[in-house]
Amino acid sequence: MKNISKKVLVGAVAFALVLPASFTFSQGASAASPVKGGNLTILRGDLESSLTPSTPPDNAGIWVVEEIFDTLLVPAQDAKSLKPSLATSWSASKDGLTWTFKLRPGVKFSDGKPMTSKDVKFSLQENSNPAGNWGFINSSISKIGTPNPLTVTVTTKTPYSPLPAVMAIFANSIVPYNYGGKTKEAFGKSPIGTGPFKLATWTKGQLIKIVRNPLYWEAGKPYLDSVTFKLVPDSNTRANQVQGGQAQINEFPSYSSVKTLKSVKGVKVTAFDSSAVNYLIFNNTKAPLTDVHVRKALAYLVDKKAIIAAVTFGIGTAAGAYMSPTSWAHNASIKGLPYNVAKAKAELALSTQPNGFEASINVSSGSADENSKAQILQSEAAKIGITLKINQLDPSAWTAARDAKTYDIMFGYCTTDIIDPDEIIRFAGLIDGGGSSLWSYYDNQTSAKLANDAVLVDDQAKRKAIYDKIQLAFDADQPMVPLYYAPNLYSYSTKVQNFHPFVTGNYNFRNVWLTK
Amino acid sequence: MIRFLVKRIALLIPVVFGIITATFLLMHATPGDPALTYLGNHPTPAAIAALHHQWGLDKPIINQYFDFIGGLFTGDLGSSLFYNETILKLIALKLPPTLMLMLMGSLFGVIFALPLAIWTAIRKDKFIDHLVSLMNAVILGMPIFFIGAMGILFFALKIPIFPVGGYGESNLQHLWSLVLPSITIGLGLVPLLVRSLRTSVIESLDSEYVAFARSKGLKNRAVWLKYALRNGSISGISILGIQVGYLAGGSLVIENVFAIPGMGSFLMSGILNRDFPVVQGATLTFAMLVVLVYLMTDVAYALLDPRARFK
Repeated sequence: MKNISKKVLVGAVAFALVLPASFTFSQGASAASPVKGGNLTILRGDLESSLTPSTPPDNAGIWVVEEIFDTLLVPAQDAKSLKPSLATSWSASKDGLTWTFKLRPGVKFSDGKPMTSKDVKFSLQENSNPAGNWGFINSSISKIGTPNPLTVTVTTKTPYSPLPAVMAIFANSIVPYNYGGKTKEAFGKSPIGTGPFKLATWTKGQLIKIVRNPLYWEAGKPYLDSVTFKLVPDSNTRANQVQGGQAQINEFPSYSSVKTLKSVKGVKVTAFDSSAVNYLIFNNTKAPLTDVHVRKALAYLVDKKAIIAAVTFGIGTAAGAYMSPTSWAHNASIKGLPYNVAKAKAELALSTQPNGFEASINVSSGSADENSKAQILQSEAAKIGITLKINQLDPSAWTAARDAKTYDIMFGYCTTDIIDPDEIIRFAGLIDGGGSSLWSYYDNQTSAKLANDAVLVDDQAKRKAIYDKIQLAFDADQPMVPLYYAPNLYSYSTKVQNFHPFVTGNYNFRNVWLTK
Repeated sequence: MIRFLVKRIALLIPVVFGIITATFLLMHATPGDPALTYLGNHPTPAAIAALHHQWGLDKPIINQYFDFIGGLFTGDLGSSLFYNETILKLIALKLPPTLMLMLMGSLFGVIFALPLAIWTAIRKDKFIDHLVSLMNAVILGMPIFFIGAMGILFFALKIPIFPVGGYGESNLQHLWSLVLPSITIGLGLVPLLVRSLRTSVIESLDSEYVAFARSKGLKNRAVWLKYALRNGSISGISILGIQVGYLAGGSLVIENVFAIPGMGSFLMSGILNRDFPVVQGATLTFAMLVVLVYLMTDVAYALLDPRARFK
């Protein structure tokens, strides 16, 4: 009681002193002094599938894993560098083949057992299985050594400069050796980690509640007693629940609701930097889209400004290069092809189909965004004699067409899981990068060789010069049209303080607190 | 009565069997692969094959069908591919909110409809009668999710009586959070219930047995309770019974609007992920539910109207 009245008094005095700036004051004061306690409820539209770090294919699972487990390193807030986490320091050998990580002493798992190099070796090995969801990310690793309990060495087949960034991916989170004696499935249901929170309840397809891990190594954190992730598929209902005070954070409000939400008292909407790039994707193995002139003709028909206005309600920026501007490797000189119907016509005249052709666009049924984009493109294409048919497919059928190479044109996006550009340069631009050039099946062997050269070099400026070339080649070929760079939208209660997700998505709830 | 029941149940078995067979075939005929959904952006052929083997999807369709049917007889509905949990456990978790929603929805429907029907029957062709039939037309024309959204806007956000959505944590909270969604569903039932009840109450009020009862000097109250309402409610019950399909479908939509973790959202996520066991388990549950309610309707009908037992 004493404490509260003191706070009120100090607040009243300060309020009287800075009366005109009272609003700024209240924000500044709360930002400076974290409050301990409280439960934060975050609403999401997607279901989490797994809490075993090496398994989840979905962000819904990944973002919970990141609160229960720690990685050796973590991205810095600006996503340009890495910071220590379970490893306090790291260095490469002279030949660039072996990386040595010094582990933080005194770290315990939430069951009280100490975390040692044995656990790290097991965790990295678990995620290196090529048949696993994230095995590809560790494919450069050839050997893991444990010279002592607090030192881990990772040896790669060839010099591999992205390795520290790979150690910061959730899939390489540290789990207890041999899953603490449990099977992988059993461990996934009751996971044990070193992270700021531990699992309390998990009602499948309904909610996950995580509570403070009292053994967490970072003194004084987390501030919150617990975080509840609730599944609420309808975006209107999510917005209403935050407005009604039943929840604090809405994961991804719809673009159309942003304007309304901004005017609601007690609710804040923020667009955080994200690595997401949205593309118009061509099936580069299917005629006539095999013809670069056909692809370029379609690219000239894309009115990016109209799409941003109609689909994201002005949120996001028109894209040029296929790498996100949040990456240091982004080539800012690439602007893409401008919207120009005359040039599109001229380009088509050079192609195998000078008088136009018929093709289809696959859209995920129920996606209003994809439907609007398809309709805009459809009406533009008609101007130069290209007839586009819109195919509505449910998400599972859409994926099946994508993987069977039977589609003509579709929309897609990708985000990065690590802050090093290597993942996306390969995933979206190379045929054997894990995603078949984002399922455009674009195959550029010159770029593939360049990407392999880039990871042998440690110097960032030299690497960027190589990535610039790869992005230029991509721009010349237009296997996909980068449409726009979209931020991550969150609407949340003004009581939520210090909420700032990383470019890679991590929520970092350890830093978040709630004002009363 | 027992013969009547046995006959009814015997007729229902092929219906349920037909529904689950049709669901099984439809799900497998639709393009889409649970392994691709599960693996997200990184499906390798090896990983897809491993999952197919783990889930038994590499077996011929006919074997999968017989495995499923065989499982039914031993009470084993299999396990969800995504939730990594048995279907029975999941249904035990998801069914109660939906059942409660349907039950409370019908209850609210009757609570609203009964007085309106009696009132409009008494005041036939008067102003109130026309007003109610206008209101019925408006409600019939409004989609259920719209009514729900308006309910949230006025009774949860503007005047915060009810929670905006969700299901709460304690039993009392469960019940409280179901009130607004149940009223929404109940409102959808009102137009049909009022119409049929009104008509049959008017019919029985005009009938000879009511005139005879009155001429014998029976009090108004007794005439209403023993004759007009009892005979009028027969049609109401069959309407309510037939509407169980609407209730099941309505709960699917309403669960989404109010974020209630019931069978509706469970079935939807199952369909989208191609989680075959979930879809089969959920459809079987819904089919059983509808069929059971039909059976109960028949029984109630037979109890109220002895003629039905001999048909």
